[in-house]
Amino acid sequence: MKGINLENLNDEGVESLPSKERRQFLQFCLSISGVFLGGSILSLTSANNAQGALHSGKVPVVEFPYSPHYTMVIRQNHCIDCERCLEACRSTNNVPAHGYRTNILERSIPIAQGQRERAFMPILCNHCNHPPCVRVCPTQATYKDKTNGIVQMNPDKCIGCKTCMAACPYNARYFKEEDRTIDKCNFCFDTKLKESGGKITACAAACPADVRIFGDLTDPESDAYKLIHAPGNVLWVLRPETDTLPNVFYMDT
Amino acid sequence: MTFYQKATALPSTSMNRVLIFVVLALISGIGLSFGIHSMLVGHDHTFGTTREVPWGILISPYVFFACLSTGLCIVSSLGQVFGISTFRPIVPRTVFLALITMATGLMCITLELENPWRVGFYALLSPHQFSNIWWKTTIYSLYLIFMVLNFMSLTLKMEKRAKVFAIIAFVAVTMGNLNMNSDMELLGARGFWSENYMPLYFLSLSTLTGCAAILLFSWIGKIFSGQIPETKDDTALKATGKLFIVLLLAILYFTGVKIMGGFFPQFSKNPEAMSLLVQGDFALNFWIGEVGLAVLFPLALIVVTKGENSNILALAGASCLIGVFVLFYDLVIVGQLIPHYSQYNVVDLPKYYSYSPSLHEIMITTGAIFFFLAAFILGEMLFKKIYDS
Repeated sequence: MKGINLENLNDEGVESLPSKERRQFLQFCLSISGVFLGGSILSLTSANNAQGALHSGKVPVVEFPYSPHYTMVIRQNHCIDCERCLEACRSTNNVPAHGYRTNILERSIPIAQGQRERAFMPILCNHCNHPPCVRVCPTQATYKDKTNGIVQMNPDKCIGCKTCMAACPYNARYFKEEDRTIDKCNFCFDTKLKESGGKITACAAACPADVRIFGDLTDPESDAYKLIHAPGNVLWVLRPETDTLPNVFYMDT
Repeated sequence: MTFYQKATALPSTSMNRVLIFVVLALISGIGLSFGIHSMLVGHDHTFGTTREVPWGILISPYVFFACLSTGLCIVSSLGQVFGISTFRPIVPRTVFLALITMATGLMCITLELENPWRVGFYALLSPHQFSNIWWKTTIYSLYLIFMVLNFMSLTLKMEKRAKVFAIIAFVAVTMGNLNMNSDMELLGARGFWSENYMPLYFLSLSTLTGCAAILLFSWIGKIFSGQIPETKDDTALKATGKLFIVLLLAILYFTGVKIMGGFFPQFSKNPEAMSLLVQGDFALNFWIGEVGLAVLFPLALIVVTKGENSNILALAGASCLIGVFVLFYDLVIVGQLIPHYSQYNVVDLPKYYSYSPSLHEIMITTGAIFFFLAAFILGEMLFKKIYDS
C-alpha cells in the first residue's frame, strides 16, 4: 500500500467504531498472521474460518499433531548478543568448537532512508512440521519425533551424505567429525530438557533477557503459548517461502 | 591421424595395450587412495566442503557418470529393445560402457560419503520410502546388476534373455534419472534447480552424453585395435551422429532458457543462482564450458563436416563430454552458493558462499575418471570379439 493513498484518506477516528467491528478486525489480522506463520498454528487463531479463502489449499492443519508440541518464541529485540545461550548450548550438548547448534546473526535493518536499526537474530533448528532434511534422508537417520515433533538424529544410521545439510533452509546442521554424524539442535532433548522435565532448554535457561521462550503449543499455561496467543502480538517465521512450517517463531515486544 | 599412425606403428600392440591399461589403472589407484585417506581421517580435514556448501566436486562425477550411463543405456536400447537394426552393431560396446560408467558413478558417491559402510546395513534395514536418494541409489544398484546380466547374456549369445534384462535396465535407469532430478529439485529450499524444464533437460543431457561417448569411445576402440576408423560405411555411428545433432539442438534450446533466466530474473525460479552462473563468477564455466564446449563447438564441427568424418565426430564427442562435465559441476555447486539468510540484511554475510575443490577431491575425481578409462581399455582387450560380432 502506498503512503500517498493513506494520506488522502480522512481520519474517522476509532471512537465511533463499534466493539464488534474492532473484534472482527482483530480476528481478521490474527487470521492473516496465522496463515503467514506457516499453518501449524492456524488452529490457535480464528484462522480456521479463513483457511478456505486464504490458504489456497496449502496444507491446512486443524490440530496439533504432537503432544507436547514443543516450540520456541524468540523475542528478537530483547537479544543483546551476550552469547550466553551459545556457551550453554556448547557445554550442555558437547558441541565442538568447529560447529554450532545455535547461533546469533547480527542484522542491520533499513528503517528509513539512510537509517538502519541493529538487531540480533538467534537462529537454531526450526523443528519444521515439513522438514526437508527428514524428507531427503535415505536411512531415516534424521526423523520427526512422533511424540513431541522434535527433529531428532539417530547417529548410528547416518551415512554422512550431507543431503540434509544441503536441504535445510536454516543452516541448522553441521557434520560432527568426532562422532561421524550430523549434529543439530534437538531442544536439548537428551540433556537439559530431560533434566527439567520437559520445561526448558539450555539456551533458554541461560538467557538473561528472556529472549528465548521455550514451551508447549498444547499447554495454555506455557509462556510460549501465552505469547503466541496474546492479541496484538505479531509473530513471524524465517523463510516462510520454503513451506517448511517451522515451530520457531519470532516477535518484537 | 598422426596419433593413429603412431599407435599402429608400435612394435608390439598387445604389450602396449597392457602397458596403457597398467598406467591408467595406476593413476586411478593413486587417485582413489586419496579417497581411502579421506575416509580414514574425515572429510573435514581433506575436503573443501563446508557447513554452508556441503556438496563438493565429487557429486559432479557421480551425476555425470550416472547420466552418461543413462544415455548409453538409452542408445543401446534403440538397437536392443526397440529393434532398430542400424544401432545393433554398437550394442555390446555401449552396454559395457553403460555398465562401467554406472560403476564409476557409484564409486564416486561412495567416496563422497563419510560413512559408506553404513549404507549396506541401513539402506536395507531402515529404508526411507520418501527419500529420492534411497530410491535413486537402489534403482541404480539394481540397474547395474541388470546391465551386468545383460552383458553376460550378450557374451553368451543369449539374445532373448539379454533383451529382457535390457528392458528392465532401460526402465530402471529412466526412473533413476528422474529421481536424480527430483533429488536436486527437493533442495529448492536453497535455491537449487527446480525449474520446470529440468526433468526433460536431464534426460536430454543424458542421451546427449551417451551419444558423445559412443562416438568418442568407438573411435578410440578402433584406434586401439589398429583398425582404420571408417568414414562412410559405419552406419551405426553415423546414425548416432545424427541423433547427437538433434540432441545438441535440444540442449541449445535449454541453454537459451538458462541464459534468459540469468539475465532476466522473471524467467527463473532461482534468479540469484542463475545470475551467478550466467554473468557472475561462474560465467567463464558457463560460456566456455556449457555453451562453447558442450554445444556450439561440437555443433559447428559436425555442420562443417556434414557429420561424415568419424574423426571429427569423435572430437565433437570429446568436446561435448568435457563441456557437460563442467555443466554438472556448475549444476551442483552454484545452487549452494546463495546464502541461507540473504534476505535478512545480516551483517558480514557474503553475497555468495565460496567453494574450491581440495587436492583430495581433485585426486579422487581424477582417480574415478582414470578408473573408467582403465575399465574401458580392459573391455577393449577382453571383449573385442564380442564388440565386432
